[in-house]
Order: sequence, then C-alpha cells, then structure tokens
Amino acid sequence: MNGQILNVEQVKAAIEAAVPDCQLEILVNGSPSGQHSIVLDNAHALEIARFLRNDSSFSLDFCSNVTGVDWLDAEVSEKIKTKKIIDGVETEVEEIKKTVLPGRLEAIYHLFSMEKKHGPVILRLRTGNRIDQISVPSLTPVWRSAEFQEREIFDLYGIVFEGHPDLRRLLMWDEFKDHPMRKDYVAPAEDDDLLAPAGNPADQSKG
Amino acid sequence: MVFTSNPWPPIVALLVGGFLFAIAPLGLAKVWAIKFSPAKPGIQKNATYECGLKSEGDAWVQFKASYYLYAIIFLIFDVEAIFLLPFAVAFTGLTVGACVAMLIFILLLLEGLVWACQKGVLTWD
Amino acid sequence: MEQAETAQLKAELSKHGIFTTTLEDIYNWGRKNSVWPLTFGLACCAIEMIATTMARYDLARFGAEVFRASPRQADLIIVSGTVTKKMAPQVVRLYNQMPEPKYVIAMGACAISGGPFRDGYNVLRGIDRYIPVDVHIPGCPPRPEALIDAFMTLQKKISEQHLAGEKRPRHLDAELPSEFPVPAYGEHGLEPSENAEVWNPLKIIQ
Repeated sequence: MNGQILNVEQVKAAIEAAVPDCQLEILVNGSPSGQHSIVLDNAHALEIARFLRNDSSFSLDFCSNVTGVDWLDAEVSEKIKTKKIIDGVETEVEEIKKTVLPGRLEAIYHLFSMEKKHGPVILRLRTGNRIDQISVPSLTPVWRSAEFQEREIFDLYGIVFEGHPDLRRLLMWDEFKDHPMRKDYVAPAEDDDLLAPAGNPADQSKG
Repeated sequence: MVFTSNPWPPIVALLVGGFLFAIAPLGLAKVWAIKFSPAKPGIQKNATYECGLKSEGDAWVQFKASYYLYAIIFLIFDVEAIFLLPFAVAFTGLTVGACVAMLIFILLLLEGLVWACQKGVLTWD
Repeated sequence: MEQAETAQLKAELSKHGIFTTTLEDIYNWGRKNSVWPLTFGLACCAIEMIATTMARYDLARFGAEVFRASPRQADLIIVSGTVTKKMAPQVVRLYNQMPEPKYVIAMGACAISGGPFRDGYNVLRGIDRYIPVDVHIPGCPPRPEALIDAFMTLQKKISEQHLAGEKRPRHLDAELPSEFPVPAYGEHGLEPSENAEVWNPLKIIQ
C-alpha cells in the first residue's frame, strides 16, 4: 500500500474549510517517520470523521488502528528572563518557571484510504483529565473497525467512548476494576515476584 | 440332527449365552468398581458442559410440537403393515373376496396418505 | 524382594511359553496405551501439539488416537499455551468435568510458570496453581519430540501406579477430592490467587 503520504497541513486546511468551527492542533512527530498527527476537539470530532471518510479527495475508508496513550501530570520547566528588583537595582534575572501540564488520556486513530491508496492520517482525541472527565466521542459509527479497539482502550485505559454501541471490557473480565495500561497501575503483589524490594514490586519486575 | 426332533433347545441355549455375553462384562465391571474403584461424583463434575463456562439453566430445549404429525402417520402405517403381514403369509390359501376386502383396506389408507400429502403436512419447512 | 522373585518366575514360565501377568499390570497397560487427550490449545504451544498429532511425529501411535472434543470422554488435558487469568476458571472447570482417572500435562513455559509473559496483567503464573500437574514440559515452544517424550513419561507414570494400598492414585481413593475449586473473578485479580493444597512452589531464598 505504498501510496502518497498526505501533507498534514493540507489535511488540516481542508478540514477547517469543511467544518468551520473546529479547533485543530498539529502535533509534530520528531522521529524519522515524520507521521504528524492532528488533535481534534471533541465537539466536532464526529463531523470531521465523517468528512474525512466521505470526501472524495480524501476517502479515508479504512481505520487500521486505534490505540490509547496515558499522559501523567508532567512538569515542564523553562528558563525565562524577568526583570526583578534586587537591592534596589532593576536587573534582568533568569528564573526557572515550572508549569504542570495536567495529565490526560488520548485515543489515536490511524486512517488509510483503500480507494485512493494514500495515508496514514493520524487523529488524536483528548480527554479533559485522567480522573473524572474521561469521555470522548466514539468514531465507531464512522469506521466499524474501531468497535473492538475502542472497547480495548476502554478496558485498558479507562476512556469512555460516547456513542459506542457496546462499550464493555474486552480483554479483562467485567468485574475487574483497574485499567492495566495506565502508567500508575500497580499489579497486586504476589509471593513469587522475583525482584521485590520494598516499594512497588510490579514496577521493578516490569524492568 | 437336532432339527428333526425339537428345534428349541439350541435356540434357548443361544439366547441364554447371548444374555450372559452381555451381562458378564457389566457384572465384572460392577465387581471391579466395588473392589478397586470407588465412585467419585462431584457437583462440578456432573454439571452441564459448556466449554468451561458456567451454564445458565439446563439443556432442555422446547420440543417443536409440529413433529407429532410424523408420529401419527408412522403409527397408522405401522398398524397397516402389521395387518398386512398375516395376509401375506396366508395369501395362497385365501378366497377372492378376502383379497378384495384387503384391497379396500389398503385403498382407504392410501386415500388418507394422499389427503395428508395434499394438505402439505409432510413437507419439511 | 517380592518383585525380583516374581520377575524370575515370570521369566522362567515365559521360556516355556506361559505368559503371566498381574491384574495391576493389565489394568495399567490398558490405561496407558489408550490415553485420549482433550483438544485444548491456548496459544503457540497448541501449534506444536497439532504438529505432534500430524503425520510426521504422529502421537496416535502412542495411543492418543483421537483428541476428544468433550471433557467427558477425555483422559488427559494438555494445557498448551499461556493461561490468562480470564481463561483460568474455564480451564479448572473443564478439568473438573473430566471423569477420573485424569492427567494433566503442562506444556511450555507459560503453562508451567507464566513463561516470558509472567509479569503481564492478565497472565496466570502457571496452571499448577489450581490443578495438579503430572508432567511439565519446558520449552518455548517445546518441540514435538519433547511432547512425545512427555507422553511417554506419563505412560511410565501410569504403569507405576498401584491398584490398592496407600500409594494408590487419586481416582481409586474415595477420600481424595474429585474436583478442585474454581477461582472467581475478583476486582483486582483472581480470588483465590492460588490453591494452597495444590500449589507447591519452590521458594527463592535471597
């Protein structure tokens, strides 16, 4: 399926032309693959998805993969120059300003076109936070292949997909309470954990 | 040989022998079970099999009532066959009137079969 | 010893064309040469098990003529592949539904101890946590010859079982349990996480 690779700026422009009120953001991928992704806003996600599938120039009819990402609260520190008064003299001082990026969950969609043989176009849907605002719209009504994959993300990350026809756990059993792929998941300790210092045995043995 | 005098003793002997042939292994198995191998039933062991899942309810499904028609038709023709058997055995020694009576009997049953076919009762749907 | 004397007597008689045996020998001979496995493959080791039943390695010549689909007709369950925690209660229920005498072969590293995936959130660290295993086959996956070797080990184990007395096997002893408790789906894992009467792990002393 070696078709042309779409320019992500062109895709963003086309979406903004077709769906006027949407707020998109391009996330640059610094790796050699150069597969940049577009972050959609949840209110217009379904409309954008329908446009991408139905539009004749894009015709993205194949959703090959849906995956989830867990971002913990991250501290970003940057050096900024501010003017401060020290000993009565106004001097320029370098300060380290720390901001906390709140944690959130993401669902990432990889879209290809069987008809036009181009792709991938990568979309990201973000939740509000990791605790109580964990719902995003489901794109299963647009691409059926997302059905089981969104169930898996619900099972392992905890993202609730609104509009999903059958949202329940897939890999774990229904009575299970945790979301195992979250970065702060701690597996229950067992007697035969080989590397078990005082602390978190699961983290250590995961290497 | 034995046939000329009385045919029954060898038949009885074979009957008893056949019966013992079937019963003896069962008896041996019973003796073995008592002596060596105790019965070990269990609640889960006797539970309904459903590929390892817990089965809800039991395996008794509702039988389709429309199968009764096949049972009734079989019964009718089975009884007819039983009546035809002695007729066939004594066929050479009967009068014409007896044959005509039997023919009427068969024709009546045939008319019943034609009626059932025309009603569409025997089609599999 | 009694065994040496009987062996000598047997050899003497067989020279004269008289074949002698014991009830125990005949019983075990019949059982070990007709062990019917249950079709039970979970993961990659199942492919090796299938290869063992096919023409090149042919498990059927050892007596495993048919793999039965129903546990009611099987003598042996070959647990081949990773046992996930979601699947574990079903494995134990299937084992419980097999009639005695029944045997278990744990094939591959995953069935013995969780294997390369033992830290996974859904991986059960060995099926011998819940059911008693007779033969373990190490390997990832073990070759078909290894499965055949395990089968022959099981046959040797069966031929050494006694008919009566203290050391008789589980299926001849009314006191020993005939089924094992099925783990339940808990909120964070299986409950109980192992069956203490069955599981005898090696303790790592650090």
